[in-house]
Amino acid sequence: MYCVQTSELSHNFSAQATVLKTINLQVPMGSIYGFLGPNGAGKTTTLRLILGLLKKQQGNIAVFGKSFEKNRVAILKNTGSLIESPSFYGHLTATENLVLLQKIYQCQKSRIQEVLHLVGLTATGNKRAGQFSLGMKQRLGIAVALLHSPALLILDEPTNGLDPNGIIEIRQLLTKLNQEHGITILLSSHLLAEIEKLVSHVGVINNGTMMFQGTLDELKDQQQKSSATVFETSDTMQTMQIIRNNNLVPELAEGKVSIPVVSKDTIAKIIQQLVNNGVEVYEATTIKNDLEAIFMDLINK
Amino acid sequence: MTNSFIHGFQSEWLKKKRSLASWLVIAGGFFTPLAIIIARLIHYEQLAVLYAKEGFWNQLWQSSWKSMAIFLLPVGVILSASLITQLEYKNNTWKQLHTLPLDLTSIFFSKLLVIIVMMIQFFILFNIGIYLSALIPYLLVSGVPYPKAPIPFEAMLKEDGFYFIDCLPIIALQYLLSLRYKNFLVAVGIGFGLWIASISALSWKFGYLIPYTYCPLNFLKAQNGDRVATPGINIHVMALGYFTVISIVSYIMYLSKKEKG
Repeated sequence: MYCVQTSELSHNFSAQATVLKTINLQVPMGSIYGFLGPNGAGKTTTLRLILGLLKKQQGNIAVFGKSFEKNRVAILKNTGSLIESPSFYGHLTATENLVLLQKIYQCQKSRIQEVLHLVGLTATGNKRAGQFSLGMKQRLGIAVALLHSPALLILDEPTNGLDPNGIIEIRQLLTKLNQEHGITILLSSHLLAEIEKLVSHVGVINNGTMMFQGTLDELKDQQQKSSATVFETSDTMQTMQIIRNNNLVPELAEGKVSIPVVSKDTIAKIIQQLVNNGVEVYEATTIKNDLEAIFMDLINK
Repeated sequence: MTNSFIHGFQSEWLKKKRSLASWLVIAGGFFTPLAIIIARLIHYEQLAVLYAKEGFWNQLWQSSWKSMAIFLLPVGVILSASLITQLEYKNNTWKQLHTLPLDLTSIFFSKLLVIIVMMIQFFILFNIGIYLSALIPYLLVSGVPYPKAPIPFEAMLKEDGFYFIDCLPIIALQYLLSLRYKNFLVAVGIGFGLWIASISALSWKFGYLIPYTYCPLNFLKAQNGDRVATPGINIHVMALGYFTVISIVSYIMYLSKKEKG
């Protein structure tokens, strides 16, 4: 069963502009799902639809296997969220902000100090939240999302405004919450590098269309597939023939011959055959696309 | 549903701590009594005669409500009701509020109830203020007797009740406007416009149709003169009717909002 599942979810803010096109998001139970895409891709709109902040126009949304529309309150009881900038009352202290939420969630009062400790905000005392730094505000937003020990966390760009140390701390915190408490985490980001150490599953969205969805390993497989060994020689046609003789499929681009990544032994063997056939080898390089390049490739399709 | 409403109300009540709306209630409640105390201390030589009069409490009541009914109460309600929802816009917290496990009915009515309870709080403070405006000059100026006439509690409570009912349409309409418009100035601007229109329409025979006229009309009903047209109907019933209708419209508009933060 998926923790969050959308089927054929579409949305538009005006008749001309469709923001989301038949999105089928599938967040497995217990996973950390990274929802990636450039700014304006439709990430926040999707998350707002999942949380009921936008009126659904087309498609279905199920959370914990139940329809969101019919089980809104029950689902929100087990869901913590942080959408865009953190939400809190600037004229109240961090503790006061959490107290007014504790009244609604009816969770233990001790949770307030626990979550403040978790996000490192125990020493804020009587300081009003409006006077917090951007990083502290972000931490308070995360504390708000964690207060009632939810089974699902939906975080929209949770590391915005945090310094490198803060990003690492939040990453460790989210990993801990996922591993020790089994919390499913759906988080969005426009930076793959920022979340690739954290997530188990990835969804890539661009212009309202899902470009990729799968495990991080599947994305890495794609990385492997898109890496290549490139040969620059004096005779491209003969080079291609020699490569074909080795049961490989060469491609010609910009005067260079490329093949999918092969072992060092195979490269050495091909070079030797090229030299033996009088072909001069100027360069033999293996280009490894990193995940960021794959991501860029996906969103530029 | 009931629990959800109670928890929602508790949370809403905590939110207004240190907010401008809560300070406004306190300042509004004591503003007129303070002005009366200062005026009486300036003219302290007249106090002995004034305090000995039979109709002392009635006169104090009338002078306290004069500026309150016509000016301070409508303006205070316009500002307070608008400021309560402004808390959510200003802090960008509508999205948080709407992702809490509260049904939308509880959210809508708990906020409305907070505004109403704040008004009750204001009435209590204002009545305490009226009493203090009688007591403090008596304590500070020697030779001033404590008013002989008994405090007309029943009449005061009845009048408080009428004023409270009369300001309910303002609460409902300002709440509707402030839910509808993100910009605080729109709700307050329309509110002030309607209040000015209501003052201008007091002598018009259909002036009572403007829902902001009831507080001044209630005060001026005892005054004989051409300043006010006597409505042919019960204005308090009209006020309750307006409050109910506007609240229902506001509730439907709130539920049908496409974006909730």
